Amino acid sequence: MQFVYGPQVVNGLAIGVAVILMALGLTIIFGLLDVINMAHGEFYALGAYLAVTLVAKGASFWLCLALVPVVMAAIGYFAERALIQRVFHSRDRHILTLLLTFGLAIIAEDAFKLAYGPNPYKPESPIAGASEVLGITLPNYRLFLIVAGAAIIVAVWLVVYRTSLGAMVRAAAFDRHMASSLGVPVEKVYAGTFAFGVALAGLSGVLLAPIYSVFPTMGKDFILMAFSVVIVGGMGSIKGAVIAGLVLTQIQSISSLYISPVWGEPLVFGIMVLFLLVRPQGLAGRLGHG
Amino acid sequence: MAEAPALRAAVDAGERTAIGAHRLLAGTFMLLALAFAASAGATGDTFFFRLATEALIFAGLAMSVDLLLGYTGLLSLGQALFFGFGAYVSGLVLKHVAPSFWAAVGITLLASLAAGLVAGIISIRARGVYFALITFGLAQVAFKVVFNTREIGGSDGIIGIPQIKVEFGLFSVDTQSPAGFFLVTLAFIMLLYAVCAYLTQTPFGRTLMAVRTNESRVAFLGYSPWRAKLAAFVAAAVVAALSGSLYPMLRGLVSPELLAFQTSGNAVIMMIIGGVGTLAGALYGSVLLTVLKSVFGTFTEHHLIIIGGLFMLSVIFFPKGLAGYALPRLERWLERRAAAGP
Amino acid sequence: MHKLKLYAAVAAVFLAGPVQAQSSTIKIGVVTPLTGTYAGIGQQVKWGIDLAVKEINDKGGILGRKVETIYEDEEANPNVAVQKAEKLFQVSKVDFLTGTVNSGSTLAVGQVAERNQRLAATTVSYSDTITGAQCSPNMFRVNAKAGMQSEALAEWLVKQKPGGTVYFLGPDYEMGRSTVAAFKEAITKRGLKTAGETYAPLDNKDYSPFFGQIRAAKPQVFYTSVAGNDTVRLFSQMSEYGLTKGMIIVGAAGTITGQNLAAVGKAAEGFVTGVGYTTEIDTPENSKFVADFKAMWKTDPDLFGVDSYGVVYFYKAAVEKAGGTDTDKVRAAMRGLEWQTPQGKKTMRAGDHQAILDMYAVKIQGGKFTIAGKVPGAAAVGPDTCTKF
Repeated sequence: MQFVYGPQVVNGLAIGVAVILMALGLTIIFGLLDVINMAHGEFYALGAYLAVTLVAKGASFWLCLALVPVVMAAIGYFAERALIQRVFHSRDRHILTLLLTFGLAIIAEDAFKLAYGPNPYKPESPIAGASEVLGITLPNYRLFLIVAGAAIIVAVWLVVYRTSLGAMVRAAAFDRHMASSLGVPVEKVYAGTFAFGVALAGLSGVLLAPIYSVFPTMGKDFILMAFSVVIVGGMGSIKGAVIAGLVLTQIQSISSLYISPVWGEPLVFGIMVLFLLVRPQGLAGRLGHG
Repeated sequence: MAEAPALRAAVDAGERTAIGAHRLLAGTFMLLALAFAASAGATGDTFFFRLATEALIFAGLAMSVDLLLGYTGLLSLGQALFFGFGAYVSGLVLKHVAPSFWAAVGITLLASLAAGLVAGIISIRARGVYFALITFGLAQVAFKVVFNTREIGGSDGIIGIPQIKVEFGLFSVDTQSPAGFFLVTLAFIMLLYAVCAYLTQTPFGRTLMAVRTNESRVAFLGYSPWRAKLAAFVAAAVVAALSGSLYPMLRGLVSPELLAFQTSGNAVIMMIIGGVGTLAGALYGSVLLTVLKSVFGTFTEHHLIIIGGLFMLSVIFFPKGLAGYALPRLERWLERRAAAGP
Repeated sequence: MHKLKLYAAVAAVFLAGPVQAQSSTIKIGVVTPLTGTYAGIGQQVKWGIDLAVKEINDKGGILGRKVETIYEDEEANPNVAVQKAEKLFQVSKVDFLTGTVNSGSTLAVGQVAERNQRLAATTVSYSDTITGAQCSPNMFRVNAKAGMQSEALAEWLVKQKPGGTVYFLGPDYEMGRSTVAAFKEAITKRGLKTAGETYAPLDNKDYSPFFGQIRAAKPQVFYTSVAGNDTVRLFSQMSEYGLTKGMIIVGAAGTITGQNLAAVGKAAEGFVTGVGYTTEIDTPENSKFVADFKAMWKTDPDLFGVDSYGVVYFYKAAVEKAGGTDTDKVRAAMRGLEWQTPQGKKTMRAGDHQAILDMYAVKIQGGKFTIAGKVPGAAAVGPDTCTKF
């Protein structure tokens, strides 16, 4: 039995970590800013493309891992202040930010094609080879992904829940005016949080580039899965995103044994719809609230 | 309370002006369309007639999105689901059942009522962005289903949908005739517009706008927001499907891309540029976007950047769109006329 | 107000240019994806056509008239393709249309061509049905169809592994499934066996969930019809998991091309496919073509580039034979036409408008597409199944 389920579970784990990293940024941005970032996938793509550029200039993969999130954070900060802030105070904020980021996504895809051409790139995997564990083969880079991904998730959780910076963020999410009157620089916190979410997306882009390759339409890869994870986990909840990410990717991975793989994603989507109908707050609720 | 009747009269007058402004806007559109038809017909044109017909068909889709967002406050990111559904039902009826306009439209009407009801019951329990995501996902799933079902053409779609005659009893119009079918489509879409506009002026329409403004209050006032939203959803689904049903008559084919996110996205862009919450805005928005895409597409392969950029500018600086800009001016013009009148 | 002004502007744009030049140039319309997933293919199509047109114009054009090309982006969407095709026929008044990539667009454009009483050709679509069940009297195909590619590959394979077992993995859409079916038929009649088959969604990210089944089936040969970005993912992931060891990896002609070869990298080594072209074809015509193409575009031509280059010469030969651009005369001239291309001589079969050309088994060695076998055109083309004309 383990030879049938084992590989599916382990592979699902590697995919799960990838999806969780994507969903984390999304859920943090929604949890705090109440912004649905339709361009999240494009920031993921941008991170990957930046890595491609840096590698072409001779940088090592590890340098990219360190540098790209910083650059992405700057881009995210700028994007928030230049674009999102403009519609933030309007009554139709939810819809307007959704539409704005949707417009950004349209531009981004074409911009990538303009800058890098339509053909795919694939950075070399920094860790070659595969190992066999309990009869299951797993490439070493994927093992690294699982470990690194877990470390990043823990780091994010620590920052949000165990640092004063995180406390400011949660306070601003819970009650903006109160936090502001207590001296929290709310505007900066908002921009910073968006930057953080975007940096996470960019980091995912770099990490996944060696296995998923880089091309102009890659931003659409994770959209449905990431949103499903965010909703099932609960908008704004890190714990929820992790649990939902693991469970949903496992469901998709194991289901490919029984049903045609084309229906894996729709199945996950169906679960998301179910949650929306039965338990809309997801598994774990909202950032700042629990 | 001596102010009450005067207040009431003022409110009524204001409403009449608003309705009048909307009618003016829609009427102008119709006149412009007819002027276009006259000049294009004089030059014996084919392409621009068909392009305009396509713009009208997509305007119907944009109207259905506006019905949900502008009046009920629900953003649908998957309205192409019903549009494509209508196109496929119509196409299949024309090709395999009967090459009859009324059969295709009639069956599409019934089928979309059912589909809208089912999808609506699932979707409207969600609010705001959740609703947007559900509609997005539903459309994606439907796209995949159609894409992978070889019996209805699969990823290649269906070609060979016959050109038909639209029978009106005393006379008939060939769908092959560019001018003729343009006029049929114009009448069809304006009829849909008239029905939607009328709906928004009924108590039902008011309930919708109340739901949009403050949903929880509506229940306390004794109305069922759930029923109102469901009705709006089904109405929007039917409008989208009926618009879509004209597509295979124009082009002789249907393909899964009619259900794809790009189609839903385009409808949203049309609605925003035209003006949310105005219905007539969707008409102008569709024409504008169709022309922009056609013109930019000829000059550069980077038309998406330009259109995406225009869209973002519109969202930030002109969130009320073209119609939103024009309507208050039209209203003031009407008020001045009324004040200066007899 | 807006509408009238815009209409006037658009009309001015379209009518101003072409009307004056109408009878003195021959216009070829190209509806091809310049954006979206297939933009890379559209780029090769454009490069091939532009090179051919330049050469022809430098030598005096067709029947003394210069050739003009007009491009429109169809975004790999049949609905857009139909609209742009009609614009090219009606407004730009093109004499001939080409450039569609995916089979849905080709079928749709064929229908538009019929309704406009003009001719069109595809240089990329290899779905068998285009010159089979859904053939059109106004649509021609100058490239090899899936059945032909399968014949060339199967011929090579039966010599390498007679009686071997093959595992199939295809993308789950019309093209993917029919390519797998075509190859399955080709190998079965040569005595090889199927070890299993599975279909992945188009644009699938991660193929690792399929590897368990593949390993369990222990096939000697692995056939795939994925393309573009999907190929990069499949191959690099298979290589990651060590799945490529001990198996012969083969696939469709569109699986590894100039667009994704660099990204697939080392994982492409040893891959074999059946295709109508490789830059290694050793003829003076091909050497000159490759050199000219590279000089103009700084990239090697691939099958899409050479077939698109060839379609312009196909049209030229037909127009010259017909003595003009009249649709019925050109169609009659095209049927049975033989013309020279960098791939050698091609013949346009009259019965189904399918070009007959020599097919090659091509193997990727050292990052190059080397020739491993050859099947003559007549043997590869298969029976004429078109019954519509």
